[in-house]
Amino acid sequence: MTLAATIIDAHALLQLLYASVIAGVGICVVYACAVVGVTRSNERRRAHDHRAATLYGALASVALAICVVAIVAGITIMATK
Amino acid sequence: MHSEPLIILVVATALAFDFTNGFHDTANVVATSISTRAVAPRVAVTIAAILNFVGAFISLKVAATIATGIVAAGAITLPVVFAGLIGASVWNLTTWYFGLPSSSSHALIGGVVGAMIAAKGTGAVQFAGLLGKVIVPAFISPILAFAIAGTAIAITYRLTARLRPGPAGRGFRHGQLFSGGMLALAHGTNDAQKTMGVITLALIANGNISAAHFAVPAWVVISAASAIALGTYAGGWRIIRTLGTRIIKMDAAQGFTAQTAGAAVVLAASHVGYPLSTTHVMAGGITGAGAGKRLSAVRWGMAGNMAIAWLLTLPAAAAVGAGTYAATTTIGNGTLGPFVIAAIALAAILSLMVRRARELTANPADAKQ
Repeated sequence: MTLAATIIDAHALLQLLYASVIAGVGICVVYACAVVGVTRSNERRRAHDHRAATLYGALASVALAICVVAIVAGITIMATK
Repeated sequence: MHSEPLIILVVATALAFDFTNGFHDTANVVATSISTRAVAPRVAVTIAAILNFVGAFISLKVAATIATGIVAAGAITLPVVFAGLIGASVWNLTTWYFGLPSSSSHALIGGVVGAMIAAKGTGAVQFAGLLGKVIVPAFISPILAFAIAGTAIAITYRLTARLRPGPAGRGFRHGQLFSGGMLALAHGTNDAQKTMGVITLALIANGNISAAHFAVPAWVVISAASAIALGTYAGGWRIIRTLGTRIIKMDAAQGFTAQTAGAAVVLAASHVGYPLSTTHVMAGGITGAGAGKRLSAVRWGMAGNMAIAWLLTLPAAAAVGAGTYAATTTIGNGTLGPFVIAAIALAAILSLMVRRARELTANPADAKQ
Protein backbone atom coordinates (compact mmCIF):
# COMPACT_ATOMS: atom_id res chain seq x y z
CA MET A 1 0.00 0.00 0.00
CA THR A 2 2.80 2.41 0.99
CA LEU A 3 4.88 1.40 -2.05
CA ALA A 4 1.91 1.90 -4.39
CA ALA A 5 1.22 5.29 -2.78
CA THR A 6 4.87 6.28 -3.29
CA ILE A 7 4.91 5.25 -6.95
CA ILE A 8 1.47 6.47 -7.99
CA ASP A 9 0.60 10.13 -7.60
CA ALA A 10 -3.00 9.59 -6.49
CA HIS A 11 -3.78 13.32 -6.65
CA ALA A 12 -2.69 13.60 -10.30
CA LEU A 13 -4.47 10.38 -11.23
CA LEU A 14 -7.72 11.52 -9.56
CA GLN A 15 -7.40 14.87 -11.31
CA LEU A 16 -7.08 13.04 -14.65
CA LEU A 17 -10.13 10.88 -13.84
CA TYR A 18 -12.55 13.57 -12.71
CA ALA A 19 -11.44 16.26 -15.18
CA SER A 20 -11.72 13.97 -18.20
CA VAL A 21 -15.04 12.44 -17.09
CA ILE A 22 -16.63 15.84 -16.35
CA ALA A 23 -15.31 17.40 -19.56
CA GLY A 24 -15.86 14.37 -21.80
CA VAL A 25 -19.33 13.30 -20.68
CA GLY A 26 -20.42 16.84 -19.78
CA ILE A 27 -19.62 18.44 -23.15
CA CYS A 28 -21.20 15.54 -25.07
CA VAL A 29 -24.43 15.69 -23.05
CA VAL A 30 -24.68 19.49 -23.17
CA TYR A 31 -23.98 19.48 -26.92
CA ALA A 32 -26.69 16.82 -27.39
CA CYS A 33 -29.07 19.23 -25.62
CA ALA A 34 -28.00 21.91 -28.12
CA VAL A 35 -28.76 19.57 -31.04
CA VAL A 36 -32.18 18.81 -29.52
CA GLY A 37 -32.81 22.52 -29.02
CA VAL A 38 -31.86 23.55 -32.58
CA THR A 39 -33.74 20.67 -34.22
CA ARG A 40 -36.93 21.11 -32.15
CA SER A 41 -36.80 24.88 -32.51
CA ASN A 42 -36.75 24.58 -36.32
CA GLU A 43 -39.60 22.03 -36.25
CA ARG A 44 -41.74 24.21 -33.95
CA ARG A 45 -41.06 27.31 -36.06
CA ARG A 46 -42.24 25.50 -39.19
CA ALA A 47 -45.38 24.46 -37.24
CA HIS A 48 -45.94 28.17 -36.33
CA ASP A 49 -45.57 27.34 -32.61
CA HIS A 50 -43.36 30.37 -31.91
CA ARG A 51 -43.41 30.08 -28.10
CA ALA A 52 -42.03 26.53 -28.11
CA ALA A 53 -39.58 27.50 -30.88
CA THR A 54 -38.23 30.33 -28.73
CA LEU A 55 -37.89 28.06 -25.67
CA TYR A 56 -36.04 25.40 -27.66
CA GLY A 57 -33.90 28.13 -29.23
CA ALA A 58 -33.00 29.38 -25.75
CA LEU A 59 -32.07 25.82 -24.69
CA ALA A 60 -29.79 25.53 -27.73
CA SER A 61 -28.17 28.91 -27.08
CA VAL A 62 -27.50 28.18 -23.40
CA ALA A 63 -26.12 24.69 -24.21
CA LEU A 64 -23.81 26.03 -26.94
CA ALA A 65 -22.63 28.84 -24.66
CA ILE A 66 -21.80 26.26 -21.92
CA CYS A 67 -19.80 24.19 -24.45
CA VAL A 68 -17.81 27.23 -25.62
CA VAL A 69 -17.14 28.42 -22.04
CA ALA A 70 -16.06 24.90 -20.99
CA ILE A 71 -13.61 24.60 -23.91
CA VAL A 72 -12.14 28.09 -23.42
CA ALA A 73 -11.86 27.55 -19.63
CA GLY A 74 -10.16 24.17 -20.13
CA ILE A 75 -7.54 25.58 -22.51
CA THR A 76 -6.97 28.62 -20.29
CA ILE A 77 -6.39 26.44 -17.21
CA MET A 78 -3.90 24.30 -19.14
CA ALA A 79 -2.05 27.28 -20.55
CA THR A 80 -1.76 29.21 -17.28
CA LYS A 81 -0.95 26.53 -14.65
CA MET B 1 30.75 14.62 -23.32
CA HIS B 2 30.33 17.80 -25.36
CA SER B 3 30.02 17.33 -29.11
CA GLU B 4 28.45 19.79 -31.53
CA PRO B 5 28.16 17.38 -34.50
CA LEU B 6 26.55 14.76 -32.26
CA ILE B 7 24.01 17.14 -30.69
CA ILE B 8 23.02 18.31 -34.20
CA LEU B 9 22.57 14.66 -35.26
CA VAL B 10 20.49 13.87 -32.15
CA VAL B 11 18.26 16.94 -32.58
CA ALA B 12 17.76 16.11 -36.29
CA THR B 13 16.89 12.50 -35.39
CA ALA B 14 14.44 13.69 -32.71
CA LEU B 15 12.72 16.06 -35.15
CA ALA B 16 12.56 13.29 -37.77
CA PHE B 17 10.90 11.09 -35.13
CA ASP B 18 8.48 13.93 -34.34
CA PHE B 19 7.62 14.19 -38.05
CA THR B 20 6.87 10.43 -38.19
CA ASN B 21 4.78 10.79 -35.01
CA GLY B 22 2.57 13.38 -36.73
CA PHE B 23 2.55 11.28 -39.92
CA HIS B 24 1.49 8.16 -38.00
CA ASP B 25 -1.11 9.76 -35.74
CA THR B 26 -2.98 11.83 -38.33
CA ALA B 27 -5.41 8.93 -38.62
CA ASN B 28 -6.32 9.21 -34.93
CA VAL B 29 -7.10 12.88 -35.31
CA VAL B 30 -8.95 13.07 -38.63
CA ALA B 31 -10.35 9.59 -39.29
CA THR B 32 -13.64 10.01 -37.44
CA SER B 33 -14.32 13.47 -38.92
CA ILE B 34 -13.67 12.22 -42.45
CA SER B 35 -15.52 8.92 -42.06
CA THR B 36 -18.73 10.64 -40.90
CA ARG B 37 -18.26 13.22 -43.71
CA ALA B 38 -18.30 16.02 -41.13
CA VAL B 39 -15.34 17.75 -42.79
CA ALA B 40 -13.81 17.53 -46.26
CA PRO B 41 -10.57 15.50 -46.07
CA ARG B 42 -8.29 18.33 -47.25
CA VAL B 43 -9.82 20.74 -44.73
CA ALA B 44 -9.61 18.16 -41.91
CA VAL B 45 -5.91 17.53 -42.52
CA THR B 46 -5.08 21.24 -42.83
CA ILE B 47 -6.95 22.12 -39.60
CA ALA B 48 -5.33 19.17 -37.79
CA ALA B 49 -1.84 20.31 -38.86
CA ILE B 50 -2.46 23.92 -37.74
CA LEU B 51 -3.96 22.87 -34.38
CA ASN B 52 -1.16 20.35 -33.76
CA PHE B 53 1.25 23.28 -34.16
CA VAL B 54 -0.76 25.52 -31.82
CA GLY B 55 -1.26 22.71 -29.28
CA ALA B 56 2.48 22.28 -28.84
CA PHE B 57 2.68 25.72 -27.20
CA ILE B 58 -0.02 25.15 -24.55
CA SER B 59 1.87 23.24 -21.87
CA LEU B 60 5.35 21.88 -21.01
CA LYS B 61 4.47 19.46 -18.20
CA VAL B 62 4.79 16.33 -20.34
CA ALA B 63 8.19 17.53 -21.61
CA ALA B 64 9.28 17.92 -17.97
CA THR B 65 8.11 14.36 -17.18
CA ILE B 66 10.08 12.94 -20.13
CA ALA B 67 13.21 14.97 -19.36
CA THR B 68 13.32 14.56 -15.59
CA GLY B 69 10.90 11.86 -14.42
CA ILE B 70 11.80 8.64 -16.23
CA VAL B 71 15.58 8.38 -16.46
CA ALA B 72 18.25 10.10 -14.35
CA ALA B 73 18.88 13.28 -16.33
CA GLY B 74 22.35 13.68 -14.82
CA ALA B 75 23.45 10.24 -16.03
CA ILE B 76 22.24 10.54 -19.62
CA THR B 77 24.64 10.80 -22.57
CA LEU B 78 24.11 11.79 -26.20
CA PRO B 79 24.66 8.23 -27.54
CA VAL B 80 21.93 7.02 -25.11
CA VAL B 81 19.42 9.59 -26.40
CA PHE B 82 20.42 8.80 -29.98
CA ALA B 83 20.08 5.02 -29.47
CA GLY B 84 16.67 5.55 -27.81
CA LEU B 85 15.44 7.59 -30.78
CA ILE B 86 16.71 5.03 -33.29
CA GLY B 87 15.12 2.22 -31.23
CA ALA B 88 11.76 4.04 -31.26
CA SER B 89 11.97 4.86 -34.98
CA VAL B 90 12.91 1.28 -35.94
CA TRP B 91 10.03 -0.13 -33.86
CA ASN B 92 7.60 2.43 -35.32
CA LEU B 93 8.62 1.67 -38.90
CA THR B 94 8.53 -2.09 -38.32
CA THR B 95 4.99 -1.94 -36.92
CA TRP B 96 4.00 0.45 -39.76
CA TYR B 97 5.42 -1.99 -42.35
CA PHE B 98 3.52 -4.97 -40.91
CA GLY B 99 0.38 -2.89 -40.30
CA LEU B 100 0.43 -3.34 -36.50
CA PRO B 101 -1.11 -0.62 -34.34
CA SER B 102 1.45 0.78 -31.94
CA SER B 103 2.15 3.86 -29.87
CA SER B 104 4.90 6.27 -30.97
CA SER B 105 4.99 7.65 -27.42
CA HIS B 106 5.62 4.32 -25.75
CA ALA B 107 8.17 3.42 -28.44
CA LEU B 108 10.06 6.63 -27.63
CA ILE B 109 10.00 6.07 -23.86
CA GLY B 110 10.86 2.36 -24.27
CA GLY B 111 13.76 3.18 -26.61
CA VAL B 112 15.31 5.71 -24.23
CA VAL B 113 14.85 3.42 -21.18
CA GLY B 114 16.37 0.42 -23.02
CA ALA B 115 19.38 2.44 -24.19
CA MET B 116 19.85 3.82 -20.66
CA ILE B 117 19.81 0.31 -19.14
CA ALA B 118 22.37 -0.85 -21.72
CA ALA B 119 24.59 2.16 -20.97
CA LYS B 120 24.34 2.64 -17.21
CA GLY B 121 22.38 -0.32 -15.85
CA THR B 122 18.97 -0.38 -14.20
CA GLY B 123 20.06 2.08 -11.49
CA ALA B 124 19.83 5.00 -13.95
CA VAL B 125 16.16 4.35 -14.68
CA GLN B 126 13.55 5.87 -12.38
CA PHE B 127 11.27 2.83 -12.27
CA ALA B 128 8.84 4.55 -9.88
CA GLY B 129 8.44 7.37 -12.43
CA LEU B 130 8.16 4.91 -15.32
CA LEU B 131 5.45 2.93 -13.53
CA GLY B 132 3.56 5.84 -11.98
CA LYS B 133 3.77 8.32 -14.88
CA VAL B 134 3.81 6.05 -17.95
CA ILE B 135 2.66 2.46 -17.35
CA VAL B 136 -0.28 3.06 -14.97
CA PRO B 137 -1.73 5.96 -17.04
CA ALA B 138 -1.17 3.86 -20.19
CA PHE B 139 -3.43 1.14 -18.77
CA ILE B 140 -6.02 3.54 -17.38
CA SER B 141 -6.36 5.99 -20.29
CA PRO B 142 -7.93 3.72 -22.97
CA ILE B 143 -10.34 2.28 -20.37
CA LEU B 144 -11.21 5.81 -19.28
CA ALA B 145 -11.80 6.96 -22.89
CA PHE B 146 -13.89 3.81 -23.47
CA ALA B 147 -16.04 4.51 -20.39
CA ILE B 148 -16.47 8.22 -21.19
CA ALA B 149 -17.40 7.63 -24.84
CA GLY B 150 -19.70 4.71 -23.92
CA THR B 151 -21.53 6.69 -21.23
CA ALA B 152 -21.74 9.83 -23.38
CA ILE B 153 -23.11 8.03 -26.45
CA ALA B 154 -25.71 6.16 -24.34
CA ILE B 155 -27.00 9.45 -22.85
CA THR B 156 -26.78 11.20 -26.24
CA TYR B 157 -28.86 8.52 -27.99
CA ARG B 158 -31.44 8.72 -25.20
CA LEU B 159 -31.66 12.54 -25.48
CA THR B 160 -31.88 12.56 -29.28
CA ALA B 161 -33.93 9.36 -29.75
CA ARG B 162 -37.06 11.18 -30.92
CA LEU B 163 -35.31 13.51 -33.35
CA ARG B 164 -35.33 12.90 -37.09
CA PRO B 165 -31.95 11.35 -38.01
CA GLY B 166 -31.15 13.91 -40.73
CA PRO B 167 -31.14 17.15 -38.70
CA ALA B 168 -29.65 15.42 -35.62
CA GLY B 169 -26.82 13.93 -37.70
CA ARG B 170 -26.15 17.34 -39.25
CA GLY B 171 -25.93 18.85 -35.74
CA PHE B 172 -23.34 16.31 -34.61
CA ARG B 173 -21.36 16.72 -37.86
CA HIS B 174 -21.13 20.45 -37.08
CA GLY B 175 -20.02 19.48 -33.55
CA GLN B 176 -17.25 17.37 -35.01
CA LEU B 177 -15.61 20.52 -36.37
CA PHE B 178 -14.93 21.44 -32.74
CA SER B 179 -14.35 17.97 -31.27
CA GLY B 180 -11.89 17.17 -34.10
CA GLY B 181 -10.16 20.50 -33.53
CA MET B 182 -9.87 19.83 -29.80
CA LEU B 183 -8.43 16.39 -30.51
CA ALA B 184 -5.79 17.87 -32.86
CA LEU B 185 -4.95 20.45 -30.21
CA ALA B 186 -4.67 17.70 -27.57
CA HIS B 187 -2.44 15.64 -29.84
CA GLY B 188 -0.10 18.57 -30.46
CA THR B 189 0.00 19.33 -26.74
CA ASN B 190 0.84 15.81 -25.56
CA ASP B 191 2.87 14.33 -28.43
CA ALA B 192 5.05 17.28 -29.48
CA GLN B 193 6.12 17.64 -25.84
CA LYS B 194 7.65 14.15 -25.86
CA THR B 195 10.12 15.21 -28.53
CA MET B 196 10.73 18.48 -26.68
CA GLY B 197 11.54 16.43 -23.56
CA VAL B 198 13.97 14.18 -25.44
CA ILE B 199 15.76 17.12 -27.11
CA THR B 200 16.00 18.81 -23.70
CA LEU B 201 17.52 15.61 -22.27
CA ALA B 202 20.10 15.68 -25.08
CA LEU B 203 20.88 19.35 -24.37
CA ILE B 204 21.37 18.48 -20.68
CA ALA B 205 23.68 15.60 -21.65
CA ASN B 206 25.67 17.93 -23.92
CA GLY B 207 26.00 20.57 -21.21
CA ASN B 208 23.91 23.21 -23.00
CA ILE B 209 21.31 23.16 -20.18
CA SER B 210 21.77 22.49 -16.47
CA ALA B 211 19.92 19.43 -15.13
CA ALA B 212 19.28 21.38 -11.93
CA HIS B 213 17.43 24.20 -13.75
CA PHE B 214 15.11 22.45 -16.18
CA ALA B 215 13.74 24.65 -18.96
CA VAL B 216 12.73 23.89 -22.53
CA PRO B 217 14.33 26.45 -24.91
CA ALA B 218 11.93 28.35 -27.20
CA TRP B 219 13.64 27.06 -30.37
CA VAL B 220 12.99 23.47 -29.19
CA VAL B 221 9.26 24.22 -28.74
CA ILE B 222 8.98 25.90 -32.16
CA SER B 223 10.94 23.22 -34.04
CA ALA B 224 9.05 20.31 -32.37
CA ALA B 225 5.71 22.04 -33.08
CA SER B 226 6.69 22.57 -36.73
CA ALA B 227 7.89 18.97 -37.19
CA ILE B 228 4.70 17.39 -35.81
CA ALA B 229 2.51 19.80 -37.83
CA LEU B 230 4.40 19.02 -41.06
CA GLY B 231 4.17 15.29 -40.31
CA THR B 232 0.43 15.59 -39.71
CA TYR B 233 -0.02 17.42 -43.02
CA ALA B 234 2.13 14.92 -44.96
CA GLY B 235 0.56 11.87 -43.30
CA GLY B 236 -2.94 13.11 -43.98
CA TRP B 237 -2.81 12.50 -47.70
CA ARG B 238 -2.08 8.80 -47.23
CA ILE B 239 -4.95 8.53 -44.74
CA ILE B 240 -7.28 10.30 -47.16
CA ARG B 241 -6.49 7.79 -49.89
CA THR B 242 -7.19 4.93 -47.49
CA LEU B 243 -10.37 6.40 -46.04
CA GLY B 244 -11.59 7.45 -49.45
CA THR B 245 -12.44 3.83 -50.19
CA ARG B 246 -12.74 2.21 -46.80
CA ILE B 247 -14.99 4.18 -44.49
CA ILE B 248 -15.26 3.22 -40.84
CA LYS B 249 -18.90 2.50 -40.01
CA MET B 250 -19.71 5.19 -37.50
CA ASP B 251 -22.47 7.78 -37.21
CA ALA B 252 -21.84 11.46 -36.49
CA ALA B 253 -22.92 11.22 -32.83
CA GLN B 254 -20.44 8.37 -32.26
CA GLY B 255 -17.68 10.30 -34.03
CA PHE B 256 -18.38 13.37 -31.88
CA THR B 257 -18.40 11.44 -28.58
CA ALA B 258 -15.26 9.42 -29.47
CA GLN B 259 -13.35 12.60 -30.36
CA THR B 260 -14.59 14.53 -27.32
CA ALA B 261 -13.72 11.63 -24.98
CA GLY B 262 -10.25 11.33 -26.57
CA ALA B 263 -9.59 15.08 -26.41
CA ALA B 264 -10.78 15.29 -22.77
CA VAL B 265 -8.52 12.41 -21.63
CA VAL B 266 -5.42 13.60 -23.54
CA LEU B 267 -5.79 17.27 -22.47
CA ALA B 268 -6.39 16.30 -18.81
CA ALA B 269 -3.35 13.99 -18.95
CA SER B 270 -1.20 16.75 -20.47
CA HIS B 271 -2.27 19.04 -17.63
CA VAL B 272 -0.97 16.62 -14.98
CA GLY B 273 2.13 15.72 -17.03
CA TYR B 274 1.29 12.19 -18.18
CA PRO B 275 2.75 11.26 -21.59
CA LEU B 276 -0.18 9.30 -23.03
CA SER B 277 -0.57 7.48 -26.31
CA THR B 278 -3.16 9.19 -28.54
CA THR B 279 -3.45 5.92 -30.47
CA HIS B 280 -4.49 4.01 -27.33
CA VAL B 281 -6.86 6.71 -26.14
CA MET B 282 -8.63 7.09 -29.50
CA ALA B 283 -8.91 3.32 -29.91
CA GLY B 284 -10.57 3.24 -26.46
CA GLY B 285 -12.88 6.14 -27.36
CA ILE B 286 -13.95 4.67 -30.72
CA THR B 287 -14.52 1.23 -29.17
CA GLY B 288 -16.55 2.83 -26.34
CA ALA B 289 -18.69 4.80 -28.80
CA GLY B 290 -19.33 1.57 -30.72
CA ALA B 291 -20.06 -0.50 -27.60
CA GLY B 292 -22.38 2.21 -26.23
CA LYS B 293 -24.61 1.68 -29.25
CA ARG B 294 -24.39 -2.10 -29.46
CA LEU B 295 -21.76 -4.40 -27.89
CA SER B 296 -21.74 -6.71 -30.91
CA ALA B 297 -20.78 -3.74 -33.12
CA VAL B 298 -17.23 -3.91 -31.75
CA ARG B 299 -14.72 -6.32 -33.28
CA TRP B 300 -13.46 -7.68 -29.96
CA GLY B 301 -10.89 -9.96 -31.64
CA MET B 302 -9.28 -6.93 -33.29
CA ALA B 303 -9.36 -5.07 -29.94
CA GLY B 304 -7.51 -8.04 -28.36
CA ASN B 305 -4.81 -7.97 -31.06
CA MET B 306 -4.34 -4.25 -30.49
CA ALA B 307 -3.99 -4.81 -26.73
CA ILE B 308 -1.23 -7.38 -27.34
CA ALA B 309 0.61 -4.96 -29.67
CA TRP B 310 0.35 -2.26 -26.98
CA LEU B 311 1.81 -4.56 -24.31
CA LEU B 312 4.73 -5.41 -26.60
CA THR B 313 5.66 -1.84 -27.56
CA LEU B 314 7.54 -0.73 -24.41
CA PRO B 315 9.71 -3.87 -24.00
CA ALA B 316 10.29 -4.27 -27.75
CA ALA B 317 11.37 -0.64 -28.24
CA ALA B 318 13.53 -0.95 -25.12
CA ALA B 319 15.23 -4.04 -26.61
CA VAL B 320 15.86 -2.25 -29.92
CA GLY B 321 17.15 0.84 -28.04
CA ALA B 322 19.53 -1.32 -25.98
CA GLY B 323 20.72 -3.17 -29.10
CA THR B 324 21.27 0.12 -30.93
CA TYR B 325 23.32 1.47 -28.03
CA ALA B 326 25.46 -1.69 -27.98
CA ALA B 327 25.99 -1.46 -31.76
CA THR B 328 26.81 2.27 -31.55
CA THR B 329 29.48 1.81 -28.91
CA THR B 330 30.90 -1.27 -30.68
CA ILE B 331 31.47 0.72 -33.88
CA GLY B 332 33.25 3.50 -32.07
CA ASN B 333 33.06 5.92 -29.19
CA GLY B 334 32.39 9.60 -29.75
CA THR B 335 30.68 10.67 -32.93
CA LEU B 336 31.67 7.79 -35.27
CA GLY B 337 29.23 5.18 -33.90
CA PRO B 338 26.08 7.34 -33.99
CA PHE B 339 26.87 8.65 -37.50
CA VAL B 340 27.44 5.12 -38.88
CA ILE B 341 24.22 3.87 -37.21
CA ALA B 342 22.33 6.93 -38.52
CA ALA B 343 23.54 6.17 -42.08
CA ILE B 344 22.54 2.49 -41.74
CA ALA B 345 19.13 3.42 -40.27
CA LEU B 346 18.50 5.97 -43.05
CA ALA B 347 19.40 3.41 -45.74
CA ALA B 348 17.16 0.79 -44.07
CA ILE B 349 14.24 3.22 -43.76
CA LEU B 350 14.54 4.32 -47.41
CA SER B 351 14.75 0.72 -48.64
CA LEU B 352 11.72 -0.25 -46.50
CA MET B 353 9.71 2.70 -47.87
CA VAL B 354 10.71 1.97 -51.48
CA ARG B 355 9.82 -1.71 -51.00
CA ARG B 356 6.44 -0.82 -49.51
CA ALA B 357 5.77 1.65 -52.33
CA ARG B 358 6.59 -1.07 -54.91
CA GLU B 359 4.29 -3.53 -53.14
CA LEU B 360 1.49 -0.98 -53.20
CA THR B 361 2.10 -0.23 -56.89
CA ALA B 362 2.01 -3.96 -57.68
CA ASN B 363 -1.08 -4.57 -55.54
CA PRO B 364 -3.07 -1.34 -54.94
CA ALA B 365 -5.67 -3.25 -52.84
CA ASP B 366 -3.08 -3.39 -50.02
CA ALA B 367 -3.23 0.38 -49.71
CA LYS B 368 -6.75 0.07 -48.43
CA GLN B 369 -5.79 -2.22 -45.55
